[in-house]
Amino acid sequence: MRKNVAIIGGGQTHHAARRHDVNQVELVNEAVRAALADAQMTIDEIDSVLFGNMEFFEGCHMTDCWLVDGSGAYGKPGLKITTGGTVGATIVGAGVHHVASGLFNKALCVGFEKQEEGDTGAILSGVAHPLFGRSLAGAAVGYFAMMATSYMAAWGAKEEHSAMVAVKARQNARKNEYAHLKLDISIQDALNSRMLSYPIRMLDMCPASNGACAMILADEKTARDRCAKPVWIRAMDTAHNEQFELDWRDVTTKKPIFSRVSASRLYRKLGVDDPSKYFDVFEIYEPATWAEMVWYEDLALCRPGDGFKLVENNMTAIDGPIPVNPSGGVLSTNCIGASAMLRIWEAALQIRGDAGGHQVVSKDIRRALATAYGGTNWTVLTALSGTMDD
Amino acid sequence: MKSAKDNVELISIPMVVDVPYRFAAGKYMTRFLTELRDNGKFYGIRCPLCNRVQLPPRIVCAVCHVKNSDWIELGNEGTLVGFTIMYLPLTDPTTGKPHEPPFAYGSVRLDGSDSVIDHFLNVEPVVEHIRIGMRMKVALKEREDRVGDLGDILHFDPVT
Repeated sequence: MRKNVAIIGGGQTHHAARRHDVNQVELVNEAVRAALADAQMTIDEIDSVLFGNMEFFEGCHMTDCWLVDGSGAYGKPGLKITTGGTVGATIVGAGVHHVASGLFNKALCVGFEKQEEGDTGAILSGVAHPLFGRSLAGAAVGYFAMMATSYMAAWGAKEEHSAMVAVKARQNARKNEYAHLKLDISIQDALNSRMLSYPIRMLDMCPASNGACAMILADEKTARDRCAKPVWIRAMDTAHNEQFELDWRDVTTKKPIFSRVSASRLYRKLGVDDPSKYFDVFEIYEPATWAEMVWYEDLALCRPGDGFKLVENNMTAIDGPIPVNPSGGVLSTNCIGASAMLRIWEAALQIRGDAGGHQVVSKDIRRALATAYGGTNWTVLTALSGTMDD
Repeated sequence: MKSAKDNVELISIPMVVDVPYRFAAGKYMTRFLTELRDNGKFYGIRCPLCNRVQLPPRIVCAVCHVKNSDWIELGNEGTLVGFTIMYLPLTDPTTGKPHEPPFAYGSVRLDGSDSVIDHFLNVEPVVEHIRIGMRMKVALKEREDRVGDLGDILHFDPVT
C-alpha cells in the first residue's frame, strides 16, 4: 500500500433479535459513539465517513443520507457502499483506500443492519437473477444446504461435525458480551434442533440480528500520535465471481472459487507459506456451520476434504492451535451489514488484547485474518498485525 | 408496544411495499427461452476461447471477455451435484405464494454443459431416496402451458 493504515478505534452495539427501543439512526449512533470514545476522538476530527448496509433490507434507500445524523457524516465527504454480505469489509476496504491514498487521514467506517424491520428472505430473493432461478430463491439456508450435501458426499463428513461447529460458536459467544446468541448448547441439542433444509438444522444457521459496528482508520502519523495500540491493515484482497456458475456448492469443483483465489493472492502479498501458523487467530464469515468447514479448506488451513477433521480434533477451538471465531462469529451474531466489519474489529480486538471474555489467551496474538462472505459467493479478506514488523 | 422494562410506549409502524417489475430478457436469453417454450430444447452457448458451454446463454464470457456465439443443443439429462430437502414454506418470489414443504430441490449439471440448473426434484423428500451423482431428466410442462420462462420446467425426474 502507498501509505500504511491502522485501525485506531472501534465499537459495536449489543446485538439482539429485538431492538424496537431504537430506530436505525439511534442504532448506528451507538456504534459510532463507542468507536469515537475508543479512539478518544471527536466527530469533528473525522475527515470522511464510509457507510453501508444491505440494499433495501430496512426498506429505505440512501441510508447514508437518512442516517447522516447518526453516522456523523453531516458536512463530510464519504461513500455509501453496499456489496451484500461482504459490505462491512468492503466499507473498510474503501476506508483503507481513502487513507492509503493520502487524501484523508482519518476515515470513519460504519456498517449496520436492523433485520427486524424488513423481510430478509423476501429481499434476499432479489439476489437471484429474475429470469433464471429466482423461483426457488428466497433463503440462504437452501444454498448452504446444497453445499452441505455436496460436502458430506465428497468427504464423508457427518451431521455431528456440523453440530460441533454449532456448539463451538455458541459456547464462544457466551464469553462475548456483545454477541446475540449466547447459548449453552451441546452437540445433542444441535442434532435435535428443528430441521430447516436438510442437513441444516436451526442451530446450524446464523440468527437474524440487529446491530452496528464502527471503526476509525488512520494514517501512520495519526495512528502513532493518537493511539496506544494501533492495529495495522497489512493486506486486503477481493475478487468478483462469475455469476450463474454455482459451483461453489459443488465442493469438488475444479473451477476457481474466489475465496481460494483471494486467499492465495493475499498470502503471496504477505509471503505467507503456512497460513495456519502465520496467523494467530481467524475471524471468518460463516453464515452456516458447513461454510466454516469449507472456509478452513479455502483458506488452506488444511487440505481439501480435511476441514471437518479440524473441528473434530478441536483444532479451531478458542484454546486450540488455530483459533477460529473466538467471538462466536456470524453463527452467533448476524447483523449483516455489520457482520463483515465485526470480523475485522474482533480480529483487531484480539491483537490489542482487548477482546475481554473471549480473548485468546493460549498464545500471543500478533497477526489475524478476517474474511467476509456474500452472495453470490465472493469475499473480502483482511490481514491485520499488531506491529509493522510482523 | 409497551416495553416491559420501563413501561414506555414504543411505536413501530407496519408497511407493505409491493413493487412491480418488468425485466427484458435480451436477445440471448430470449432465444434460450423460446427454444425451451416452442421446441422443448435446451441450448447453451459456447465460448470460442475457453470452450465452456454456459447456461443461461449470455453474450459475453465473463472469464475471457469475448463474444459468445456458438449455440449448442444440450440433452435433457444430467447429473445431480447438490440437493436439499426444504422443510420451510419458502415463498416463491416470482409468484408470492409458498412452495409446500417438505420438498426436494437440487442442482443438476446438464450433459454437455459446464453450468448447473437448480430445480425441484420429483422424488419422495427423504434423504435415502436422493444421492449426489444420480442421473436426472428434465420434465417440461405441456407445450400449450409453456410461456417462455424457467417455470416451463416442472422438475427433474430420476432416470431409472
